[in-house]
Amino acid sequence: MKRPIHLNDEYLYECYLAQRQGDAADPPIAEHLADCDHCAARYSELALVMDTLRADGEAETDEIFTPERLRAQQQQIARRMAAVGRPAQVISFPGRFVQRTIRVSTLRSPRWTAAAAAAGLFLGIALGASYEWEYRARPSPPALNTRGARLAPAVRSPSADVGADADFLSDLEVALEHPRTRELAAFDAFTPHVREVSDSR
Amino acid sequence: MDEARERFTELVALHQRRASRIAYQYLRDVAEADEAVQDAFVKVFSRITSYREAWPFEVWFTRILINGCLDRRKAKSRRDRWFVGGGMSSAQEARASVARSGSDPEHQVLARERRARVAAAIDRLDGRQRMVFLLCHFGDCTPREISAMTGLNESTVRVHLFRAARKLRGLLGGKL
Repeated sequence: MKRPIHLNDEYLYECYLAQRQGDAADPPIAEHLADCDHCAARYSELALVMDTLRADGEAETDEIFTPERLRAQQQQIARRMAAVGRPAQVISFPGRFVQRTIRVSTLRSPRWTAAAAAAGLFLGIALGASYEWEYRARPSPPALNTRGARLAPAVRSPSADVGADADFLSDLEVALEHPRTRELAAFDAFTPHVREVSDSR
Repeated sequence: MDEARERFTELVALHQRRASRIAYQYLRDVAEADEAVQDAFVKVFSRITSYREAWPFEVWFTRILINGCLDRRKAKSRRDRWFVGGGMSSAQEARASVARSGSDPEHQVLARERRARVAAAIDRLDGRQRMVFLLCHFGDCTPREISAMTGLNESTVRVHLFRAARKLRGLLGGKL
């Protein structure tokens, strides 16, 4: 038994496109569609799906883009077209603000400002110059003979060393006996001194 | 210049509806589609001197419109990468208002669901397939015109069209 030959989907779709554009389908395909019920049913199904898809899309867009919306869009396009070719204009808000600022700043800067600045500069220079002149005119203090001091021999006698040590130790003792910090005086009173401990022994 | 503007306004009225349909199906956002259509018309008006009559006006115009829509789609995908969408989009709002004003709520709801399903399926198409399919089925363009608009070979356009239709039918379960 001979197996029936059917059109593939691509041919069916080509046929649908041709029909939608108002063109005639290929004669062999058209003949087969006329003879084969199976392919005719498949073609009808394909055409139904595509037409429904298209009609649905159109209906959706028509619901959204109503005549009022389209009119508003048209007006907006007309407004934008009117602006084409015109030189660019400054936006009103910052433009006005900048102009007013410039006008105010130019009106409130009189000539005496420049004169005061020049006078201040002159005074500053004059005062600086006089101070420098006075400093130079002052007699210089006697220079220290550092070289001589550095070269002088640091020789000390042994007796002087012993005296200095005794003085240092006595100062230390006095400092320990009488703390200068007032807050520590109470602690000092409670604490036995070295001398007191040695005396008790 | 005023006369040119008047004549162009007539041209706008003639192509506006179809342009809005293409832009909306491409962008799925009313405000974005509205702006894309406006931009395309203004661009065409300001560059009308570069128009060559080798192709009809609508082919040239649709090409400009599609390029604008592609740019907007790219910008939107970039935005969506960084921002979380909150609430309803303008398209959803418009659809909801239509549904509110409709007389048959059940029919409106079913239609809305079906359209959402179709839109999601179209969105899943490959970029070229989507463009070619939308231009053919919603923009009423022939494969030859699409070839002129996109720069693709006419036979390539036909192949893309067929593949898009087959994939859509598969995604929608062969029925609508």
